[in-house]
Amino acid sequence: MAEIKVRKLHKEFGAGEDRVVALEDVTLDISGHVFVSIVGASGCGKSTLLNILSGIETPTHGQVQITQDGRPAVKGYVFQAARLLPWRTVMDNLLFVQKDRSEETRARCQRYLEMVQLGDKGKKYPGELSGGMQQRVGIARAFSTEPDVLFMDEPFSHLDAITARSLRAELQDMWQETRKTVVFVTHDVGEAVELSNRILVFAKGGRMADDIDVSLPFPRDVADADVALTKANVFKTFENIGALAVS
Amino acid sequence: MTALAHDTRPRRKRSNPALRALKSPLSGRIAFPLVCLAVWLVAIEIVTAVWPFAVDVLPRPSQVFSFMWDELTGDTLAPYNLYETFGISLKRLGIGMAIAMGIGTVIGLAMGLSKSVNAFFNDWVVAILAMPNLAWALFCSLAFGFGDVGPIVTVVLTGIPFVIINVREGVRNAPTDLYDMARAFGVSRSDSIRHVLLPSLMPFMFAAGRYAFALGWKGLVVAEVFGGEDGAGWTIKFWYDAHRAHGVIGYALFFVLFALLFEKFLLDRLSAYFFRWRPAVSSTDVVEELFEGPPSAATTASAVSDTTTAAQRSLTQVTAGPRSEREGGDDTRRTHDG
Amino acid sequence: MTTVAASPPTTDGPRVSEEDRVRAARRRDRIRTIFWRLAGYAFFLGLWEFASGRLMDETLLPGPVDVFRTFGDLWASGKVPGAFADTLTRIGIGFAIAFVIGAAVGILMQNRWLSGFFRDAVTIGVTTPGLIWALITAIIFGNRPWGPLIAIVLTTFALISVNVAEGIKALPKDLIDMAKAFGVGVVRRNRQIVVPHLAPYLFTGVRFGFSIAWKVTVLTEVFASSSGIGFEMRTATQLFRMDEFLTWILAFYVFALFLEKVVLEVIERRFFAWRDTIKS
Repeated sequence: MAEIKVRKLHKEFGAGEDRVVALEDVTLDISGHVFVSIVGASGCGKSTLLNILSGIETPTHGQVQITQDGRPAVKGYVFQAARLLPWRTVMDNLLFVQKDRSEETRARCQRYLEMVQLGDKGKKYPGELSGGMQQRVGIARAFSTEPDVLFMDEPFSHLDAITARSLRAELQDMWQETRKTVVFVTHDVGEAVELSNRILVFAKGGRMADDIDVSLPFPRDVADADVALTKANVFKTFENIGALAVS
Repeated sequence: MTALAHDTRPRRKRSNPALRALKSPLSGRIAFPLVCLAVWLVAIEIVTAVWPFAVDVLPRPSQVFSFMWDELTGDTLAPYNLYETFGISLKRLGIGMAIAMGIGTVIGLAMGLSKSVNAFFNDWVVAILAMPNLAWALFCSLAFGFGDVGPIVTVVLTGIPFVIINVREGVRNAPTDLYDMARAFGVSRSDSIRHVLLPSLMPFMFAAGRYAFALGWKGLVVAEVFGGEDGAGWTIKFWYDAHRAHGVIGYALFFVLFALLFEKFLLDRLSAYFFRWRPAVSSTDVVEELFEGPPSAATTASAVSDTTTAAQRSLTQVTAGPRSEREGGDDTRRTHDG
Repeated sequence: MTTVAASPPTTDGPRVSEEDRVRAARRRDRIRTIFWRLAGYAFFLGLWEFASGRLMDETLLPGPVDVFRTFGDLWASGKVPGAFADTLTRIGIGFAIAFVIGAAVGILMQNRWLSGFFRDAVTIGVTTPGLIWALITAIIFGNRPWGPLIAIVLTTFALISVNVAEGIKALPKDLIDMAKAFGVGVVRRNRQIVVPHLAPYLFTGVRFGFSIAWKVTVLTEVFASSSGIGFEMRTATQLFRMDEFLTWILAFYVFALFLEKVVLEVIERRFFAWRDTIKS
């Protein structure tokens, strides 16, 4: 089982007048087969938290520990922009992040490409694909390393509503099937309610303001009344803590 | 509403295909050499009739063309024929380019990665950049006498500042988002270098190569004029000294043809191969791109007050490859992280 | 993976020192840059001086000291201003003509047929070494003044054409249409929209056209002149006075750099100050 332990995580930039606190003494625990969303307005530190969890950035102080059954966890990451190597084919992009290039690995990568309906696009270059397809390759890439923990940073925010909606459904299916821990950052409350069973609300200044359980059954339909109600409740929570205030 | 019994829409006159062809840019392009020829013939008549002393020698087109034909068939009064001559020059250019690319890449990488190294070399790169190749050519010819060394060194000196600047730009434009991605996935350092760093530098290296070629060629010719005993530059000087204007003009035309052929066929083919992953690569003709593509980074160079990068960009207009290549590793088509 | 970072701050005091630390780091950076820059000068000038005495014959490659001394002598003898004046006049006239022709071609190329017509002319103009033009005009016109001028024009016009053509192609049609819709007159439209838009393109053309023009001018003077810097350079090499040769080329080169960097860049900065505000 994957476990994420964060203790008094603090990140700030600059000094004196220019000092900006991105995360303020954040403490939290995530474990098991959960889909956790981190929601907040711009500048509340959610991307920073994700970057630190995935190892791209280092904290100013505090502790982070991400383990799978005692050993260091394997991590996957899906970015806002697909971040594919434009000079390599789709399949090569998946292979790039694998530990080896064996036949077995190739087959596994091909499986994940098929899972995102791009099984026949392995030899194409990213430049030949649409934005939505590129993002699906990014998702396939992240899943293909079969990580213990999957980090996703607003992966659908650059896509049009229709593509985003179908990708959300795909993501939900994949999560159900593969049973991993997902940490998902978004500014879209509706998306968070639709996808996750736990929502962490962040307010301006990098402060974790609330921890909400969403225990509706999966799969969730956006048109469902319960889902809509939950959304409304979450929004109310936001207003209460002033988390929606614009900087 | 019922349909009309007959079509009363104004009918478009079916344009005469011949007329359309005549108005196309291609016909303009063909017209140009014809007009030049006509002007040339007229000029000869006018000059010899009205101002007989205004020129020392004005060759007729027929003289020039028969000279060129002789050269092409290997019949020449010069010590080496056309093919040997260009072969010698090309060999020197190749060696000089290899050296310029090699040393220039190392220095450019160092300058891009370290501010101290940049401070050390920068003013000198600018200085060498602005130096006329005439100076290098004269100096090298006097220093190294006849033979290959002088021209090769000239090629190196003319090309190296552009290689350095381009490679430095390549380093500065490194795609940090892709590096972050590799780091997030725990990709090994060597794999990152092989699959992220080197390919991202390719467009800049290619631009560097194009400069090294175009400018190196110009420098080479000057060097051969002043201090050689063979090669393309020396040969054109040979005809100049022999007072054969048709020889000078004929060889000059060979120069033009050579440069055009090389750029169009070799370099553009290479570019298409190396950058086949680029979605925007289309046209193969340098100047065509300039006039049919949207304005490039070249002319917005005025926003940059640094002579070096401006020089690079401005000259990019004239010697570089397709626009997309010129923008280096810029993946403008993809969405960027917020 | 466990990440353990630095210990948390103890009091409020350290925040002030953080600010000082950042400032100190920036100052260190600046000093380091200046140091390495000076080190570069010391290295290359020293290398030159060394090469002059040891690696190559002194008569073949005079060191920096010799060159500066010779410059003083030449200046005193009055040859320098005369030669500079001749060369600069040639550049001025040649460049002016090149600019007019280049701009005209650039404007004409907005027409489809004419763009086909001039296309090869521009390509040839851009790829042909100035030397070729210098030789051709030298053999045809001998020592007469218009030979070098024609060579300068032929070498320079193409770059200006390209810049002008690009500038016109990029004219912000939407702004012009907007002005027309508001009933703004032609003169005012040109002054407020067209000219400011074209200015940077023209400027780039001038700057690099000038750079090419002065180099070609000196080249033509080497072959077909009896005055000017190129001529002095040729004389110096024929008499094997390398120190004089180097002096001439360096003097002119420094002067041209001065023109390019100082004069043009100052004008550019004043003219295009508005662009910086947009950038920031």
